[in-house]
Amino acid sequence: MKVTLNWLKEFVDFSLSATQVADALTMAGLEVEEVYTLERNFSRVVVGKIVKSQKHPDADHLSLCRVDIGGNILPIVCGAPNAYEGLKAPLALDGSVLLNDLKVETQKIRGFESQGMLCSEAELGLSERSEQLMELTADAEVGKELGQYLGEPDIVFDINVTPNRPDCLSVIGIAREIAAMTGSSLKKPELNITAIPDAIEKYMTVDIKDEERCFRYSGRYLRDITIKPAPFWMALRLHAVGIRSINNVVDVTNYVMMEVGQPLHAFDYRLLEGKKVIVRAAEAGERFTTLDGQEHELDQDSLLICDGVKPVALAGVMGGLNSEVQPDTNTVFLESAYFEPTNIRRTAKKLDLSTESSRRFERGIDPNGTIYAMNRAASLMVDLAGGHVVGDAIDNYPQKVTPVEIDLSVHQSNVWLGVSLKKEQIAEILSSIELSVEQKNGDTLRAIVPTFRPDLTRPIDLVEEIARLYGYDNIEPNVAPRIDQLQEANPRVLFRDFVRQTVSGMGFRETCNLSLIHKKFGHEFLPQKTGFVELLNPLSEDLGVFRPNMIVSLLTSVAYNRNRQMHDMRLFEIGNVAWKEDGRSVKTEKTQIAGILAGHRQENAWYGKAKEFDFYDIKGVVEGLLAKTGIEKFEQESAHDVFWDAESSKVIVDGKSCGAFGKITDDVLTLFKIKTNDLFAFYFDFDKLFENCRKEKIYNPVPRFPSVPFDLAILIDVNVSAGSLEKEIWKSGGENLVDVHLFDYYKGEQVEAGKKSVAFSLTFSSKERTLSDDEIENVIDQILAHLSGQFGAQLRDR
Amino acid sequence: MTENLETIISVIAETEKAFFYRLSNAATRDDLEEIRIEYLSRKGKVQSLFSLIGKVDGVDRPKIGAELNRVKKAVQDAIDEKQKSFQRTGKAIEFFDPTLPGRTVSIGSLHPLMQVMDEVKQIFVGMGFRIEEGDEIETDYHNFEALNIPKHHPSRDMQDTFYLSDEYVLRTHTSPVQIHTMEDQKPPIRMIAPGRCFRKDTPDATHSPTFHQVEGLCVDRGVSFADLKGVVLAFAQKLFGKDVKVRFRPSFFPFTEPSAEYDFSCIFCKGQGCRVCKDTGWLEISGAGMVDPAVFGFVDYDPDVYSGYAFGMGIERIAMLKYQVNDIRIFYENDLRFLKQF
Repeated sequence: MKVTLNWLKEFVDFSLSATQVADALTMAGLEVEEVYTLERNFSRVVVGKIVKSQKHPDADHLSLCRVDIGGNILPIVCGAPNAYEGLKAPLALDGSVLLNDLKVETQKIRGFESQGMLCSEAELGLSERSEQLMELTADAEVGKELGQYLGEPDIVFDINVTPNRPDCLSVIGIAREIAAMTGSSLKKPELNITAIPDAIEKYMTVDIKDEERCFRYSGRYLRDITIKPAPFWMALRLHAVGIRSINNVVDVTNYVMMEVGQPLHAFDYRLLEGKKVIVRAAEAGERFTTLDGQEHELDQDSLLICDGVKPVALAGVMGGLNSEVQPDTNTVFLESAYFEPTNIRRTAKKLDLSTESSRRFERGIDPNGTIYAMNRAASLMVDLAGGHVVGDAIDNYPQKVTPVEIDLSVHQSNVWLGVSLKKEQIAEILSSIELSVEQKNGDTLRAIVPTFRPDLTRPIDLVEEIARLYGYDNIEPNVAPRIDQLQEANPRVLFRDFVRQTVSGMGFRETCNLSLIHKKFGHEFLPQKTGFVELLNPLSEDLGVFRPNMIVSLLTSVAYNRNRQMHDMRLFEIGNVAWKEDGRSVKTEKTQIAGILAGHRQENAWYGKAKEFDFYDIKGVVEGLLAKTGIEKFEQESAHDVFWDAESSKVIVDGKSCGAFGKITDDVLTLFKIKTNDLFAFYFDFDKLFENCRKEKIYNPVPRFPSVPFDLAILIDVNVSAGSLEKEIWKSGGENLVDVHLFDYYKGEQVEAGKKSVAFSLTFSSKERTLSDDEIENVIDQILAHLSGQFGAQLRDR
Repeated sequence: MTENLETIISVIAETEKAFFYRLSNAATRDDLEEIRIEYLSRKGKVQSLFSLIGKVDGVDRPKIGAELNRVKKAVQDAIDEKQKSFQRTGKAIEFFDPTLPGRTVSIGSLHPLMQVMDEVKQIFVGMGFRIEEGDEIETDYHNFEALNIPKHHPSRDMQDTFYLSDEYVLRTHTSPVQIHTMEDQKPPIRMIAPGRCFRKDTPDATHSPTFHQVEGLCVDRGVSFADLKGVVLAFAQKLFGKDVKVRFRPSFFPFTEPSAEYDFSCIFCKGQGCRVCKDTGWLEISGAGMVDPAVFGFVDYDPDVYSGYAFGMGIERIAMLKYQVNDIRIFYENDLRFLKQF
């Protein structure tokens, strides 16, 4: 919402500077986003008077003028339609520079010399009106600099009005705030309408069919109107607040809307049939063309203003093309109504047609302000368009809105704010914004809220007004700690941060990727029989669905860095993923942690050659992470779609799958345009880790007797897995076996074909005693017998 | 026959010189032992020099004697010294290059946004707040309606929302976590909800469709606006230092009343006015306010008994200030050259 300093000063006296006004408004909740002086983009422009004007002999649209600039009369060729004798207009002299660096020089135009240029407002940057010469008032002093004639340029405030303050979508509303802040009062001029006595029913009647959505409809009939451009002062102000000047009648409706906040509409009375206005709901499928030329298909949600035959306006949003003011309009019907806010918003949203009018109606204007606004507009039309008001005002007001009364406890207000204001102080604050305050008994105040403040309905609403006008700055912060409110830590959050610290401690860098991805990157990662969680209104297809797996995000980061010549990396991220079960609308959202290894574990270095990551690197990370979270043992199960069939594994804890790790397939890498196939990743369902992690740490006594190491090498068929061997060793190793460590794994010439050699270092230890050699030998024999039975294993070395 | 004094002196010097040459080449303890025997044993080279004393004139003998004693001591000392150095290093003092690069240890790091998040979390945990979490996919009810943002209300325009269906949205703030918490627990509530949010903002230097918030809520008997100002002030000073000032400006949010925008005094110019704060001396941080009683209505809290405050903040905004990052998008690029700086 834009307002100008001079406009505000018509309604309130104050001596603050523009900057002070801006600061004060901001601190009262009306955030001033920008303050600027209207620019004057011209130099060497003076007041000229056309003393002679005749048609160019060869060009109909040109006039040959002689222009008096005070003591000097210059020949000027001019193309404007209103270059008539006696007009005072701005003249840009030879050498002047206008808007957009337009340079004016003496030149010949169609054979005649022109020693300057008569200007329109647009050429001077004062408004966007370009069709005519700017018309200066009769008292303008010929020869005077135009800048001096215009006086100090006005200052514009651009204010961010929050949705709860419809009253501040007007000059008067903001002036009222300034009055409250400065302790002065609002000057709202009385309006006296002199109407030609006549029975208004002869010309117009109003019938509200839908009283739920049209609370009030007021109107006036004016005749003897002459349509012409609005005067400069009005065009200038409208231009300053961002509204295009059309003609005197339309400009008046807009001007008054900006001034008092009531949207108005002027119909060309001649185009209304049947001398009546009917307010009704649209029929489903009914078509209507608004004055911007757009045709809309309506439904029953929209409200229409109709004459006796046809719809003529989309209520509260925009007038109709079929009844708008024409250049030859001479009679006008002026509408000033109150429409129900939600309905206007719904229509404006549905038709994607947000206007200055709908913006105000949907926030809630003052239902008791229609008459004032209408009369203000009527009197301006009388002044500026030569019109006459005929008969009484029409005022159809079936849903009378009365001021709300609110009882406020002074004590409660003070508790909420943490202050100790006196009843009188509060009364004074509320009175300053035009609330009537009755001081009731004891602790209670009663405030009667004018209808232009629809946001004030409850005691807390008054508390906000009190805080705002008392000044947030004046409320002292309370920094006393509240021990009684202390809360326990959230274990899931602690675990999450612990996991992040652990993985970053293993040399991984944490990334932070967008949660939304392009579908094509996600297909391979959707769990079976699921679909994407898709956005109905994405910014673009690239951010169209929610990621189904955190590995997608990490691959995005790898691809990004690979494109920038960074090859080796370890990345991880914890985040949310989501999918939809097939045929169901319910989404599944999970937190996942994923990590990825890309490129080399080690670069070429003086102590060794570069080594690429392999499967056992990612497995080591998984083992480390699980061990750190207290999950000592997990089962492996092969194959997962994201990974290579061979080089992949699920992680099974307590019989349940928690996640997986392995080598990323070439298909997926191609999708991400990653050219090497050296990527290994893991992911876990974070909550499964949390479920299974060690919750409490309890001390396990350190053995007091020496442990005994024993190395065992076994010959076995190549396709027996190390994991199953280890499992069977544990099974047969007895209670004193405390560690099994595979330290050698060999296939090749040294062993017979079809066999491999696997060597374990076993550790035995007892809590009660030192183990004897015989005991160990017995256990080893037991293990060997078991392995031989299970896998046909032979002892290779002992 | 008496030898020339000079000749004998030079023989002694030659022996000494030869010794030090041998010693400098000693690489092991064995080498050293060999040299010790060669020079200092009873028939060693130094001992045998003493027999030369008899070959000079009587007057010169003390002089030669003194010289021989000096050499004997120097040899003994040098061997002892070398012995000690072997004890320190275990091997020979050959050229060792300590400037070769060390074996690489892979260094991990936490993302800068998450580091800021962690710091913010820590400050509030220190002030007795519990961290609560929630889903990023929320119902329209929890994201809007229960926060007093009805359908078809202009305040919905304040946030551009990603919709999944009529019922589900990507949460536009972490406030729905407050609703869930109040649905599940009775006051006193003292919580923060850190997390990821989504708004339909086209990415540019200051907007990202994904961003992070921390929101706080405190509900109890007698909680006041002054308490809110106190908590925000304490937070500001823990985060940016004791001299930071906080300013509250009236504003509007459907779920708080009174509502405020809060600013920190500019951390770069100490409030004097600079480019970052656009000469205002203040940095806009986020919004806060007293919980609107209408919200309590949705979670069955009695507004006549309880009051509360709520506040929010954008993690990206704070991280950009803290690290002097001027384009939000860099946080989401995950360029290693960026991540390595944190």
